[in-house]
Amino acid sequence: MNSIDPELAPYLDEPRQLPTGSFGKQAMLRLKFENRGTRSILSFSERRAPLLVQRALYCDEGMPEMPVVYVITNSGGILQGDRYAIDFEIGENACAHITSQAATKIHEMDANHAAQTQEIVLHEGAYLEYLPEYVIPFRHSRFQTKTNIRIAASATLIYSEILAGGRKHYGTGESFEFDLFSSTVAARRLDGQDLFVERFVIEPAKFPVSGIGTMSGFDVFGNVILLTPRENAEAIYSQIQPTWNRETSCFSGASLLPNDAGLIFKVLGKDTAVVRHEVREFWSRVRPQIKGQPVPPPFAWS
Amino acid sequence: MTTIPELMRVLQFGDSLLPVGSFSFSNGLESAVQLGIVHDVESLREFVRTASKQAATGDGIALLVAFRAARAGDDAILDQADRAIFNRKLAEEMRTMTVRMGRKLAEMSQRVIGCPISERWLKRIREGSTPGCYPVAQAVTFASLGLSEQDAFAVHQYGLAGMMVGASLRLMKIHYLDAQAVLFDVNQDAESAYERIANADLEQMSGFAPILDLAASVHVRSHVRMFMN
Repeated sequence: MNSIDPELAPYLDEPRQLPTGSFGKQAMLRLKFENRGTRSILSFSERRAPLLVQRALYCDEGMPEMPVVYVITNSGGILQGDRYAIDFEIGENACAHITSQAATKIHEMDANHAAQTQEIVLHEGAYLEYLPEYVIPFRHSRFQTKTNIRIAASATLIYSEILAGGRKHYGTGESFEFDLFSSTVAARRLDGQDLFVERFVIEPAKFPVSGIGTMSGFDVFGNVILLTPRENAEAIYSQIQPTWNRETSCFSGASLLPNDAGLIFKVLGKDTAVVRHEVREFWSRVRPQIKGQPVPPPFAWS
Repeated sequence: MTTIPELMRVLQFGDSLLPVGSFSFSNGLESAVQLGIVHDVESLREFVRTASKQAATGDGIALLVAFRAARAGDDAILDQADRAIFNRKLAEEMRTMTVRMGRKLAEMSQRVIGCPISERWLKRIREGSTPGCYPVAQAVTFASLGLSEQDAFAVHQYGLAGMMVGASLRLMKIHYLDAQAVLFDVNQDAESAYERIANADLEQMSGFAPILDLAASVHVRSHVRMFMN
């Protein structure tokens, strides 16, 4: 267990149900992908409930050689006392697409917190699209996620996090009523050279997030990290114009990351549909640039 | 109790007219005004307050770590704090601002004060082995002057809010006395901000201000601009 960060100090009491991190609350998911010539495969999979995956599918018509994996949870969301550990490794020149089955619900909490760590490793020439559905932190939920990325200079990762303010249409509507949402993404080269760190600690009761400068009345925040060689990052960056659209209530833009790590794309919207659309548009520029293959149109029911 | 020379050093190195180029930056305010996000005294106050809070929980932590490292003569930790700031500046213009002002202040301190630690640090900036971020330059300067970390933190927070309020006078219709009132108001939060971060380490540097980040990414693509960020 790593050292406890101070924002978690008030939330270390035991829930009156399954003890923190016990069987059924300590999920683990380890996936490894390898290139096998004509296609990549899910070569290793180890999982412990409530996280699970079934077989890899080859359902992406834009990249038929790419395994697509849906991460499933059999607990209906993240509960207090849950501890998730997720490891993805993409071998040399392998490709993969990982997503989630549905939005991640982080349930109301009255004791302890939930935490997740993600270790993502990409070897030379690897390509990973890790685009989970959005996260909905319910009222009084407390959640910490830490993502460590280690990436070879020739590899590409597109990783998105979409944060909704809460259950917008539940009861009188929730907007940023969770106790804590803390997310850290740190990226390094395989030799340990630091690329960048982004760490959000959102505690709406201590510092309101609706205000000017933070969310300014927007309800959904999408953050997409693209780690890729510099020439790709610059080519994609040149295609992206910041948008500020009052009609669709959407504000988006991109920045080149430090240390030639790639770029970051951020989007704010009033609802998840707008933000998911913008994230998809961005992704649709990435894949052709890196792989020369298209992102197919969304499923009619997605 | 602060002595008269100490207070004068704080005033000199905390002066908004210190020639480090802060007048050419707006810390995202220019875009926020252009987009209509900031349009009056109230919205300016909130925007500057958010930026100050981000400065405290982000750069402020590194500033205190760097200050203590400078006091202890620990170059390795000083450079760690420097890189921690640089690697967390995800918007290009924010990186430009911090390294440009950082280098200018480092050069000035070396010339005006002269101190082995600032001399070594400036050498590493010139060699390109450390980025040279502004909060670290402030930490090195204030440690060299024999001032306290609270002084360094205060000047850091004051400098950012002062820069933005100064820019607001050139960017929007605002009475110069209202601008001073905004600065006075925002500065009242600095003591509690210091208390919250005084014991934090570099790992805990954090922030959450998507609008500020997006304002920076809009600015870099703007054709008409008065400020460098």
